[in-house]
Amino acid sequence: MTKIIVDGAELDVPPEYTVLQACEAAGKEIPRFCYHERLSIAGNCRMCLVEVKGGPPKPMASCANSVRDLRPGPNGEPPVVLTNSPMVKKAREGVMEFLLINHPLDCPICDQGGECDLQDQALAYGRDRSRYAESKHAVDNKYIGPLVKTEMTRCIHCTRCVRFTAEICGTSDMGMIGRGEDSEITTYLQQAMTSELQGNVADLCPVGALLPKPQNFRARPWEYNKIPGVDVMDALGSAIRIDTRGREVMRILPRVNEAVNEEWISDKTRQVVDGLKTQRLDRPFVRENGKLRPATWQQAFAAVAAKVKAAAANKIGFIGGDLCAVEDLFAAKSLAEALGTRNIDARQDGARLDPALGRASYIFNPTVEGIDRADALLIVGSNPRWESPVLNARIRRRWRAGNFPIALIGEPFDLTYSYDYLGAGPEVLAKIANYQESGEGFGETLAKAERPLILVGQGALARDDGSAILALAAKLGAPKGDWTGLAVLHTAASRVGALDIGFVPGAGGLDAQAMAKAGAQDVVFLVGADEIAVEPGAFVVYIGSHGDRGAHRADVILPGAAYTEKSGTYVNTEGRVQMSDRAAFPPGEAREDWAIFRALSASLGKPLPFDSLAQLRGKLYASCPWLGAIDAIPATDAAGLASLPGGELGQGALVSAISDFYLTNPIARASRVMGECSALAKARRTAQAAE
Amino acid sequence: MQLVSSAKALLLKEFVDAFFLSFRYLLKPKATLNYPHEKNPQSPRYRGEHALRRYPNGEERCIACKLCEAICPAQAITIEAAPRGNDGTRRTTRYDIDMTKCIYCGFCQEACPVDAIVEGPNSEFATETREELFFDKQRLLDNGAVWEREIARNLAADAPYR
Amino acid sequence: MDLLIALLLIVVKSLALLVVGLVLIAYYILLDRKVWAAVQLRRGPNVVGPWGVLQSFADMFKFLFKEPIIPDGANKGVFLIAPFLTATLALAAWAVIPVNDGWAVANLNVGILYIFAISSLGVYGIIMGGWASNSKYPFLAALRSAAQMVSYEVSIGFVIITVLLCAGSLNLNDIVRAQDTRWGLLGWYWLPLFPMFVIFFVSALAETNRPPFDLVEAESELVAGFMVEYSASQYLLFMLGEYVAIVTMCSLITVLFFGGWLPPVNVAPFTLVPGVVWFVLKVTWFFFLFAMVKAFVPRYRYDQLMRLGWKVFLPLSLTAVVVVAGVLEFLGKVAQ
Repeated sequence: MTKIIVDGAELDVPPEYTVLQACEAAGKEIPRFCYHERLSIAGNCRMCLVEVKGGPPKPMASCANSVRDLRPGPNGEPPVVLTNSPMVKKAREGVMEFLLINHPLDCPICDQGGECDLQDQALAYGRDRSRYAESKHAVDNKYIGPLVKTEMTRCIHCTRCVRFTAEICGTSDMGMIGRGEDSEITTYLQQAMTSELQGNVADLCPVGALLPKPQNFRARPWEYNKIPGVDVMDALGSAIRIDTRGREVMRILPRVNEAVNEEWISDKTRQVVDGLKTQRLDRPFVRENGKLRPATWQQAFAAVAAKVKAAAANKIGFIGGDLCAVEDLFAAKSLAEALGTRNIDARQDGARLDPALGRASYIFNPTVEGIDRADALLIVGSNPRWESPVLNARIRRRWRAGNFPIALIGEPFDLTYSYDYLGAGPEVLAKIANYQESGEGFGETLAKAERPLILVGQGALARDDGSAILALAAKLGAPKGDWTGLAVLHTAASRVGALDIGFVPGAGGLDAQAMAKAGAQDVVFLVGADEIAVEPGAFVVYIGSHGDRGAHRADVILPGAAYTEKSGTYVNTEGRVQMSDRAAFPPGEAREDWAIFRALSASLGKPLPFDSLAQLRGKLYASCPWLGAIDAIPATDAAGLASLPGGELGQGALVSAISDFYLTNPIARASRVMGECSALAKARRTAQAAE
Repeated sequence: MQLVSSAKALLLKEFVDAFFLSFRYLLKPKATLNYPHEKNPQSPRYRGEHALRRYPNGEERCIACKLCEAICPAQAITIEAAPRGNDGTRRTTRYDIDMTKCIYCGFCQEACPVDAIVEGPNSEFATETREELFFDKQRLLDNGAVWEREIARNLAADAPYR
Repeated sequence: MDLLIALLLIVVKSLALLVVGLVLIAYYILLDRKVWAAVQLRRGPNVVGPWGVLQSFADMFKFLFKEPIIPDGANKGVFLIAPFLTATLALAAWAVIPVNDGWAVANLNVGILYIFAISSLGVYGIIMGGWASNSKYPFLAALRSAAQMVSYEVSIGFVIITVLLCAGSLNLNDIVRAQDTRWGLLGWYWLPLFPMFVIFFVSALAETNRPPFDLVEAESELVAGFMVEYSASQYLLFMLGEYVAIVTMCSLITVLFFGGWLPPVNVAPFTLVPGVVWFVLKVTWFFFLFAMVKAFVPRYRYDQLMRLGWKVFLPLSLTAVVVVAGVLEFLGKVAQ
């Protein structure tokens, strides 16, 4: 620890701290544009100037100098830093004046206006009039993709975006060309950015140079109601802020959650908002003579009741979807129990995960934060860049820190970091798991590692030999001291929650694949399940928010709420329980899903024992107590992992569970922006394949 | 004293005084105007009916910055914005002023960076129904077209004091 | 046949009086509003016709064409009769007022008593209207209004008695003739009976619910008192009755204290002017006074109103009756 005096207050800070961090630790606010705590230090905006006593007789950029570089006083006194002296103020005013020379004063037509760092700091350090009489510098706007709009004259060349794409995304999409006055930020030949995290550059940009394109000119920051939520686009459960204006969800921004997403979110999370407004189911429908016809809730319930009462209990099935909140699935499960059926399943993809094997067998045991501490990584049948881009960015950061061997079994893919490609089939995994026999290769690396991380994707589990692969991976990732390496990366936000509450077939019950078979069931309830095709024969009731695959197949549609329109609990892939608030209201006659099940149960003559969300949660917490501990990961007993029941390994390459990052769920498929991104990505892949 | 005041009361002195006082007022020139035919002189800063102005080339001035909406203390202004179809410039798709809410404080025209929304000199826009006072963008632009000359003159007259 | 002609004559006379009187009242109402406005430096009605001369007729048509609203719980019959009663009684009082020497529809020997009786009945219109409205505000207002009118009638009665003592007749023609002396306006009764004139004038204001005693109606602040529930023609009739009563009071002042149709000075140019002109001029002057009072006197409180009526005017007028009688007896001028 080093002593330092900031504005007269002496404090101890670690010597590797920058002067800016030391000043922050002293509670002083230092203005900055280029400095960002998650990016490397550039030191090119010069806004963070402070005065250092005993140093050179000029202000110093506080972000670019560390505390240990400061010279102590002649008698060994701690170095003195002034953040608010006349010299500092004059220097910052000078910097601000230079920044504003070429910055257009078009705040009224700039979407950043109201949440702009330059605007705020110009208020503190700006002159009210410009002394610059010459003509201003104008820069052509660049095309950098469908998600980010550019207004390059506003750029102040802080290079945050360049550093972000190079360091966090790992795609090096952006760069600065030209020198001095002619320097410009651009992508190479103005191609679209390729990262799945590119939307974050608009948040990073301290001015209005990079802006979210789909929200172009729509609203002002002060018009938003800002509601904290949880993302459901992937199983990471990123913390998001849902900004609504009136009844409309306008945009989604990341919230800082160091344990999960830090302050990034993927483009799907961010720009799926237009999908919330299109293809919505806003009233019940009943299929008559092969056509869906708008109906009242009573008519729809009556149609369901007629079929359910005619069906035997074991001919009724419930399939849970990927975006459902735990409460929705719990209500569905309660209804299934009331109807006496054991045919319930939330594993649409057929993943061989079973809550009976213990919670440790289906969660990301090392935790997302644990990636930073891992010292070896084996990826099995997963493409983390698509299945969870933000988590992939964390793996990349760990990789950049060095000394982190990574190997992949499955589909080779540009994961933004280098890895050893071991092969495609499950037999490679078996070889590693039994490395004593081979005695070399990555198996040894894993065995020597103190904290090996075995990342298992759904592509490896949703196979006939999924149980065997899981058993092998669990053996590799079995507890070593306080470290459990088995990391199951889910793709569905609802999956861990569904497994937690036991939304799987009971004794003698059918799983999702079996329920979808022709003739297996008389009535099938699709609880937001769109990724499974129910074969003809069964009477299908779809409860969900969007007119997607499930609704097309349905005989009765009961319109539900999307994830922004209900308060719900979600358990992310690491088993972290999170709760989101309601940001908007469901459209038209749509209702929250749990309420639909409650109303339906009444018309089926088997009323569920709760009348409010609070009562439902009471029942839920009674059956699964750990779900009541919000924002915590319940302690999990991982002892049994080393000896999971396996089976015969099959043949065939392991592939990722996701074939198109942008179109994984009904909301994304309804989004025009996501469609555009998907088409662009597809064209890029085709072009790459042709080369 | 008592006697004097009693005599005064009996002889209605105060009453007669008041009579003559009010009689003098009766003969004075009137303070009121013969309104529709005579009008008071108006300040260039007069805050009357709102109008949305255009540039001389016909382009509407409003750039949908929403500062007027933000500052409006009565929350009478509702704006929705979007890029305009033909050239992608920032424009309002909806610009409503609820004139029944408006308190004519003039903050909107103070906030406007492009002198688009102004309170013109017109105060004679009474309507027969409430609904007619919900001004939409077209109505405001029409006002601007009708009153542009007066508005421009008033703005020019007031410019040296801003 | 003679009876028929006499009857016809009466009808014609009545009609002439009514038409001329009502037109006159229309302009008195305009005058009222104009004077009031002018004192407040306003212009008053000036839109209908030149200088607003047709304003009263416009108002009349407006009232006639409006929908008469009868409250749900009102006693419909009484509710509708009340304004008719008020207006009819007020107009009936005119029958005996001589606008010139002998120019009266009915030259009653007990004319003054007749007027006194008729104007006392006027209170019934108000009470009926207030009661039939079946609403508490009109009801309370009617009670107060009635109490006020009854109170001031007492002193009006005594004031009239002093005049009768002097004139020695109940016939209004005779009262005017009794004031016909060679001293002109100095011979009229206002000079000898000046305090009585003052009391009569103030009581007349109270009797007709004019400011400063309009506290039941308080037109400028409260609603219309006993007329709250009235609208359209019924309201018009009430207002008409009120203004007719005011003009009647002005005529009475003219007749009792200001020599009726007599010219102010008994010399050539004045005596050549027809008496009816003098009469109308005098009535107009008093109406102007009524209007001016409305413009410059603040409203009384109800207890002040009652105190003035019972504790000041009643003793004063009672004493005046005794004094006048005594003086007349002393001078030997008591009429036989």
